[in-house]
Amino acid sequence: MSVETEDIVTTARRRVTTDEARDRESLEKTWKSPPGLWGWLTTTNHKAIARRYIVTAFIFFLLGGVEAALIRIQLSRPENHFLNPDLYNQVFSMHGTTMMFLFAVPIMEALGLYFVPLMVGTRNVAFPRLNALGYYAYLSGGVMIYVAFFLNIGVDTGWFSYVPLSGPDYSPGKRVDFWAQMITFTEIAALVGAVEIITTAFKMRAPGMSLNRVPLFVWAMVITAFMIIFAMPAVMLSSSMLASDRLISTQFFNPAEGGDALLWQHLFWFFGHPEVYIIFIPATGLVSTLISTFSRREAFGYVALILSLVATGFIGFGLWVHHMFATDVPQLGQSFFTGASVMIAVPSGVQIFCWLATLWAGKLQLRTPMMFILGFIVVFVMGGLTGVMLAAVPLDLQVHDTFFVVAHFHYVLIGGAVFPLFGALHYWMPKWTGRMMSERLGHWTFWLMFIGFNLTFFPMHILGLHGMPRRVYTYLDSLGWGRMNLLATVGAMIIGVSVLLFIINFLQSRRTGIIAGNNPWNAATLEWATSSPPPPYNFVYPPTVRTRSPLWDEGEDAPVVTGLATECREVLVTNMLDAEPDHRYELPGASVWPLALGFGVAVTFIVVIFTPWGIDIGAVLCLIALVGWFWSSIEKKKNLLVEPDREPLEDEL
Amino acid sequence: MMRERAALDVSHLPAHAYGSREPLWWGNLLLLVIEGTMFALALATYFYLRKNFAHWPPPPTPYPELLLPTINLIVILVSLAPAIRVHVLAIREGSQFQIQLALLAEIAFIIAVLTMRFFEFRDLHCYWDTHAYGSITWTLLGLHLLHLVASVCETALLFVWALTHRLDKKHRLDLSLLAIYWYFVVASWVIIYAVVFLGPRLM
Repeated sequence: MSVETEDIVTTARRRVTTDEARDRESLEKTWKSPPGLWGWLTTTNHKAIARRYIVTAFIFFLLGGVEAALIRIQLSRPENHFLNPDLYNQVFSMHGTTMMFLFAVPIMEALGLYFVPLMVGTRNVAFPRLNALGYYAYLSGGVMIYVAFFLNIGVDTGWFSYVPLSGPDYSPGKRVDFWAQMITFTEIAALVGAVEIITTAFKMRAPGMSLNRVPLFVWAMVITAFMIIFAMPAVMLSSSMLASDRLISTQFFNPAEGGDALLWQHLFWFFGHPEVYIIFIPATGLVSTLISTFSRREAFGYVALILSLVATGFIGFGLWVHHMFATDVPQLGQSFFTGASVMIAVPSGVQIFCWLATLWAGKLQLRTPMMFILGFIVVFVMGGLTGVMLAAVPLDLQVHDTFFVVAHFHYVLIGGAVFPLFGALHYWMPKWTGRMMSERLGHWTFWLMFIGFNLTFFPMHILGLHGMPRRVYTYLDSLGWGRMNLLATVGAMIIGVSVLLFIINFLQSRRTGIIAGNNPWNAATLEWATSSPPPPYNFVYPPTVRTRSPLWDEGEDAPVVTGLATECREVLVTNMLDAEPDHRYELPGASVWPLALGFGVAVTFIVVIFTPWGIDIGAVLCLIALVGWFWSSIEKKKNLLVEPDREPLEDEL
Repeated sequence: MMRERAALDVSHLPAHAYGSREPLWWGNLLLLVIEGTMFALALATYFYLRKNFAHWPPPPTPYPELLLPTINLIVILVSLAPAIRVHVLAIREGSQFQIQLALLAEIAFIIAVLTMRFFEFRDLHCYWDTHAYGSITWTLLGLHLLHLVASVCETALLFVWALTHRLDKKHRLDLSLLAIYWYFVVASWVIIYAVVFLGPRLM
């Protein structure tokens, strides 16, 4: 911690007289959204947009869960005909696509979009209108592919649509085109979210929040955002190449003209492996946050935890060929990826031990969020172990494309992401709604999910070792797989009940839950320093911090930031390393242009599936929206304030 | 309700900044990182597909032309001059009229580059659907073309703004970011030109 930081917050000890009521009233007026539907469509409030993401992603989670239930019903007994082969292919493809693209990444990013500004002590994300655009892109893509599914033109080539099956020769029609374009929509949204999170976390932190005082959840989201930036272009490029092979006869994946089927796999998995860490790393941030609160102490090993995340992020880009061990990539290359796949267990292991140390040294509170964290540790470690097994080429070759792999990735994804997510939903629900959820229902939700999950997926390890293949709609009775499959189906139904209980808990507590107040869990981070739910401007006076756990270490009289304008949407920009105040920055208010551009983008990418004129029409709409967006960027404060002028420094070029 | 409290007063701080102090600069930089990653992956694809061919370009497709693309490369490099001028004038609170002139020059350059780009596609001597070589070379040129179109539209928009409004600090920042975006467009083209037009002769 530098001397300058100490000085900033020490000089903040200057006493100032504030008129909180007057400032609050002014902020309320400046930051409120226009009324009604128009206000809803044009809001740039990060909390409103993040809530939208979370609700939409949760609905997709339920849809994906229904698809899972359909798979499980079909597989519950041999030679079942509940779903015909074509419908089965669509259902498992939609299940994977929904869970990976429409639920997991969006909901994790949304938690970041809601809490990063609050945790760093600012009023909004850095680019409020861009944030709104991201949601519209996400919504368009998700709605588009589900409309296609309900019209029986859903994707049927798996969530990763390998060529040549998904190419023009073997998948005629529009099914795969809808999938490829959905990718474009969701990747735009993910990239937008990543840019917001990085810029907000780097440039808009509370004075005194030097990098070594940034909350672990914010670090996790920033690292995730960087991974998104480097990984998403690969899938955008490959899905566009697939769409162009199908629509305008490019030859990227056609071996007859020098194209390469393996090119698809390389490009897809170069994205696809980091994708699972993009889902997992935010969850590690959730785990650190919840473990800290419910052990009543700071997480053990702050620096080790962050370095582990950075290491995971880097190594995660060096793993992708482990999805391709059953292809003809050279053996020496395969060995390299085996090594990297085993090595990545090390930073994950370091994190687990840091968390165990936190639990050991702390005072455990077995509230619902903590139960999910304990469940995470058990389930994720099991999934990690089968992952290390799969990293070995000889074993992978035996169980590739069997249910062993299905078991592995559900253990790491549900254990590693869904359990922490449900813990976080119970934890932050009071901040969103102002009311506590029922502990009793919460514990029931946890135990049913834990038991149901293991009942569903543990047998799949054995089924995989016995050779049951993935993505085949049924199996013969004589193979003897019937009993375990039935067990798995029963487990899936139990998971369904637990999710239902969660929904009941949510609905009930909205009406009759105990009022939460600002900080019902007595937690340490800044989102708990304001009301539940927070006002649109987050804090009347933005906080300053001196430690990693501001609410535990500061008393009532913690210094705050004063002097920001309340007649326009002004925030404080600080410098990157030590968060010293740098300048004031005006954010835009509500705007229709994100909706307009979202519409333009949707028209472009959907119409182009059917005709190249989509580009022309869409380009015009997008151009109009962009001109409007730019032209409406007028600062309110030009008329209000006079600012000191000075020459820019050399390093500002 | 008046209350005395410890506070850090920031009302004396400026309301604008330039360069890496400003969030919008970071947004622009991250966009360039995204686009740069996309180009890098497309270039990797070019070399990946190359290994499927004994001769590159595959016969009967001849080597791509060099004359026009090289002229276009020189033009695009010279177009850095008005861009740098816009950048420096913008952040040093320079003359609005000079900025307008530089923007107009920039637009002229980009239109010239765009026109020649049209012929550069022809100079590849194949189509996007002829074979994988055609697909990837058209993709590289095409992705870059999208950036040229975006640049000319953005420059024209800022030019019209500069004609109809007095430039304030916010819009001067926008001009500086436009210049930085153009530097990226030029730099990425140098690499793509080298790979697509010089590469086959060297490999």
